[in-house]
Amino acid sequence: MLINKGILEIRNLSKSFVVDNNPLQVLNNINLTFPSGAFVSIIGSSGCGKTTLLRIMLGLETNYEGDALLDGERIEGPGINRGIVFQDHRLLPWLTVGENVAFGLDGKNRKEKKLIVDEHLKLVGLSGFESAYPAQLSGGMAQRVAIARALANKPELLLLDEPLGALDALTRMHMQKELERLWILEKITMIMVTHDVDEAIYLSDKVVIMSSRPGIVKKIISVPLARPRDRAGSDFMQIKAEILKEFHLGTEYPFAYAI
Amino acid sequence: MNINEKIKVQVIGIILPLLILVLWQYVVSAGYVSYHILPLPGKVISKFIRLFTQEKLLLHIAVSLKRVFYGFFIGTVSGFLFGLLMGLSRTSEKIFGPFFHTVRQVPLIGWIPLIVMWFGMNELPRILIVAIGAFYPTTMNTFAGVRSVPRQYVELASVYGFKGIKLIRRIILPSALPSIVTGFTLSLGMSWVVLVAAELLIETNVGIGKLIDVGRETFNMELVTVGIITSGLLGFIMTKIVEKLASGTQKGMVSDQKQ
Repeated sequence: MLINKGILEIRNLSKSFVVDNNPLQVLNNINLTFPSGAFVSIIGSSGCGKTTLLRIMLGLETNYEGDALLDGERIEGPGINRGIVFQDHRLLPWLTVGENVAFGLDGKNRKEKKLIVDEHLKLVGLSGFESAYPAQLSGGMAQRVAIARALANKPELLLLDEPLGALDALTRMHMQKELERLWILEKITMIMVTHDVDEAIYLSDKVVIMSSRPGIVKKIISVPLARPRDRAGSDFMQIKAEILKEFHLGTEYPFAYAI
Repeated sequence: MNINEKIKVQVIGIILPLLILVLWQYVVSAGYVSYHILPLPGKVISKFIRLFTQEKLLLHIAVSLKRVFYGFFIGTVSGFLFGLLMGLSRTSEKIFGPFFHTVRQVPLIGWIPLIVMWFGMNELPRILIVAIGAFYPTTMNTFAGVRSVPRQYVELASVYGFKGIKLIRRIILPSALPSIVTGFTLSLGMSWVVLVAAELLIETNVGIGKLIDVGRETFNMELVTVGIITSGLLGFIMTKIVEKLASGTQKGMVSDQKQ
């Protein structure tokens, strides 16, 4: 149904801001293609322009050079064909869980809204919580609701901005499995910014490594492992070593020798 | 809080007034204070009953409440709109802010001569002075509430393309609501304080302030005391009612604060 939708192409994209009257280049000539239905992670140290790149994909940042094309059309503003999950769940505290999920569903009548809310709460395993308030939920549950809200508009592209960064390690691994399940179920393109190399390898078809000042794409690493992936497997470890090497965190030169 | 705890809190709240009553009775009946200056509590109570049954205390209360209601309504509606305007637009804050904060420094009683000269000794100046008193707290709390809307919520709204009235209705007002309601509550307290002063200073035939004034002129300390206690109790009751109404508007927020 969604075949060949959700294709995102970034071509020769550059972006600079003016800081204290000096231009500061944040992104420099980025070229990336996100195939339909792919799961791609972007990792990089802080200041590499990941957030700016996400904002461009969302349409919140429109003044840029080059092209960001979604299904061949230049992104010129926000649209409901793209969903976002932030690091903070960003649920509105004055709305119930159900109302939060229905937040972007304008133009639908009550019955349709209820149907969509029920469907998506069930999808994230939170049926029966629609009248709870966000403050009554745990961090993991709140993030599930945020995912349900992002999926409720049936986006072609789901952007995930460190979506699990605020969760404890165990909840986090559990939520990674959840994300994988949702991705397989929804068959949509997902782009995730993360700092967690394991998380990126566990979930992604491709890992994009960016480096900073100005932000450029340093390397793209494919993860051709079968799913579900074994976090302790030797293939997994090999890819992890390859990625860590890019951050000069490899084990070839332990500190003991360097001293 | 369960019911037992609620009763306990109220019982504790009654201890101090009772102690004052006992001390009052003692200092007057033992002759430390002349009963010309401070009437016995029993006399005050019988005066209260006489006022209530024969001398139209309820009429005085009703007229005072009506003035508070009109003044409060005018002051809070205009304060809300003005606070919203200054909160939303930095330009309007720059234009109106300095003027507002200067005018605000004028003691409320200081307006009375001017307003009386403009509008005469009638109902309007009394209502206007209450309106001015109610205007400031609502303006400032609405402004503060609008300015402290988390940037993240506005960003979320822009992802869904919410702008203008929709942004105000869906994000800004609900987020600022607790602060706005605090403004209303403070405005109500202020209205009542200002009203009694206005009734004392702007000649009138009826009202709680008038009762106190008549008591002073006729050296009827029972009447003065009844007036003071009645105005205090009415202010207390009104504030409690508004607080009760306000807590109903903040469902999600209340549990938020508990965490």
